[in-house]
Amino acid sequence: MIAELGHLLAFLALATAAAQSVLGLTTGGEAPRRLAVATGMFLVLSMLTLVISFVRLDFSVALVAKNSHSLKPIIYRIAGAWGNHEGSMLLWCVIMAGYGAAAALFMRNDRLRDRALGVQGLLTLGSLAYLLFASSPFTRLADPPLDGGGLNPLLQDPAVALHPPFLYMGYVGMSFVFSIAAAGLINGQIDREWAKRVRPWALTAWSSLTIGIALGAIWAYYELGWGGWWFWDPVENASFMPWLVGAALVHSLIVTEKRGGMAAWTVFLAVLSFCLALLGTFLVRSGVMTSVHAFATDPTRGLVLLAGLGVAGGAALALFAWRAPKIPTGPEFDPVSREGALILNNLFLSVGAALVLLGTVTPMVVQWLGEIKVIPPESASLSIGEPYFQLTLAPMIAVLLLFLPLAQAAPWRKADLSPILKWLTPAIAVAVVAGLVALALGGWGIWLGFGVLVGTWVVVGVGFDLWRRVGDGGFGRVLRLPLTVWGMAIAHIGVGIFVIGATVETATRTERTFPLAAGQSAEMAGWTFEFLGVRPVEGPNYYSTLADVRVTHGGTTEMIYPEKRFYPVADTSTTEVAIRKTLGGDVYVALGDTIRDQPGVWRLRIAHHPLIDWVFGGSALIAVGGFISLVARMRRRNPAVAPETTAVEPSGEKAPVGVVA
Amino acid sequence: MKAAILIAFLLQGAASEAPLPDAGKEARAQTLMRELRCVVCENEPISQSTADIAVDMRRVVRAQIDKGSSDTEVRQYFVDRYGQFVSFRPPMDGWGIALWAFPFLLLAGVGGLVGFRALRAGKRDLTPLPDDRGGGPDA
Repeated sequence: MIAELGHLLAFLALATAAAQSVLGLTTGGEAPRRLAVATGMFLVLSMLTLVISFVRLDFSVALVAKNSHSLKPIIYRIAGAWGNHEGSMLLWCVIMAGYGAAAALFMRNDRLRDRALGVQGLLTLGSLAYLLFASSPFTRLADPPLDGGGLNPLLQDPAVALHPPFLYMGYVGMSFVFSIAAAGLINGQIDREWAKRVRPWALTAWSSLTIGIALGAIWAYYELGWGGWWFWDPVENASFMPWLVGAALVHSLIVTEKRGGMAAWTVFLAVLSFCLALLGTFLVRSGVMTSVHAFATDPTRGLVLLAGLGVAGGAALALFAWRAPKIPTGPEFDPVSREGALILNNLFLSVGAALVLLGTVTPMVVQWLGEIKVIPPESASLSIGEPYFQLTLAPMIAVLLLFLPLAQAAPWRKADLSPILKWLTPAIAVAVVAGLVALALGGWGIWLGFGVLVGTWVVVGVGFDLWRRVGDGGFGRVLRLPLTVWGMAIAHIGVGIFVIGATVETATRTERTFPLAAGQSAEMAGWTFEFLGVRPVEGPNYYSTLADVRVTHGGTTEMIYPEKRFYPVADTSTTEVAIRKTLGGDVYVALGDTIRDQPGVWRLRIAHHPLIDWVFGGSALIAVGGFISLVARMRRRNPAVAPETTAVEPSGEKAPVGVVA
Repeated sequence: MKAAILIAFLLQGAASEAPLPDAGKEARAQTLMRELRCVVCENEPISQSTADIAVDMRRVVRAQIDKGSSDTEVRQYFVDRYGQFVSFRPPMDGWGIALWAFPFLLLAGVGGLVGFRALRAGKRDLTPLPDDRGGGPDA
């Protein structure tokens, strides 16, 4: 019964979403607001029924039979509800409608909200139609199996159980940014007020996306067993493109909101970020990524997504082309100013996104050209990976970051750089020294030195800027700095920490594989690893081969236990690495395979990942900074908390109010 | 006696994965191993794979570097055998140049356009906007 109830609720949501879109785009008012809340509630309940089916192991539901198993721990039964295509599409719809419901509850009642709810209703309608008619999670089996097929064991992990919800909060959150952009274009109102109302949604989506991507990286680091946290894999790039555009958007929105500038570009980014999220979903879900051939054999999923991308993106761009000429350009400013700095930020981040797009789709296009015999099939294979992005994107972002502390200190309209550079001189000195130290310690790798210099410059420069803002008031004033300043500073410091961590980790990590028989030892960088042999251990739904390894370092000895797990239901093995945290980084031990023709000899992969926590910690700070900015805005909106309004410029110069049409 | 032979054999096995004595050469070999794709794995470089073929490929990389091949020659060796697919570094010749140059051309092109427009807009006497709220992004 429960699956049918879920199915029915999803159909009810389809109906309310349709009504929501029609009424939102026409009459507006209370009706679309109530309908948006109803759509959200129906879908949350529908998701709940699916989770209940998974928890109760109702194998008569095809999706549960395929993706769950009686031996699976309870939390992964719950996560199993979205750890597959159909369930994750339902999650997509839930979050999309959830944003609509949140907007209905929290946004001020006016035409912008009505139209935004209308557009969001359309997007929800399209997603639901795809869910119900092309990938329903509620299908029953006439002949239910006695037990299920189990979840992909790689996904039986806390980080990856939470990864999809956050990633979708980000991806799908861009849908509401898109909806307000479309609503603003329909109403002919792309101005400071519009930007002010988009920003909380853009911040929510982008910060969530940051967390989602970071969780994926953490999971890759310890679950895949090779110690990499980012490999420029097409799946990763698919989430990185909307992140880059989202980062550009949260910055350009500041210019639009505070100065009324860059409005047309900001709308364009708002549309683009959701289009890239859709494109990313297409790349991941259509199978086009593993092989163009796989896509060609079952193109339904891919074509539907592509059609959705075409319709949503095309309609929004048409709206944009119609309204863009009338969007005001905002007041004049000198190229050297905060406006100028934020334009520079947008230039680099959007070119970066274009670069990632090119690097991601080119191999697929080349393969496809070979498939249709435009180029000879034998030469139609190409890989674009780490070396390409490290030599193109990384230096580009590093150059951009050189400007960051200056940009943070620059006033609006016109900046005089010489005094800023003067009080930043100590920060420059610290950064140069740090870069030189890294160069000397790291074997004179030029990228290592430059990366550490840039990261240190950002962290110290931002710290100096905070100090300057405190002024003469002393330490007590630090706590009274506005929350918006804290949000910005914490996110930027996070960027600096991430850059230092990523550069040092990439440039100086060491890894080696040792074939070891029981009783043998391996030595690496002052650490001794004595392999005592393996023993079998039984888990709830897997059999483990667990290695006992005695680690000796600096007189202390401890045991670590890298594992290989075999999941009989899914017939898959996973690696469970043993990680020993130290101040300078992780010592990382993975148990490999036995060696052919040499029974009893195991490959032990030992790696040192310096400053790896800086990579994840920096990413977390970026997200935290984003959420602090969000909270700052929500507090400010409530006049009881902060009486000041921000719309009035202290200089008395009024920025033109950008109402078009 | 048998045990001694076995251990000698194992040590030899270990030696095949041992780093090259020359630290500079070993570093080059390690970099190359990160750039070459393990041909039986899914999107994984040979440096990180535990597959037997990756072990063999690592051995070949070290042997080639040891005998004095340049990085380009080692890459070419694998590309000749497995196709361009094996190298995560796209070729830097022919149409590959376009791939490498595109980001920088785009940056220069768009940047030039934006910069040109900003400069042409002319210099009115603009003054910095004072900010009294600590100058945050919202000031």
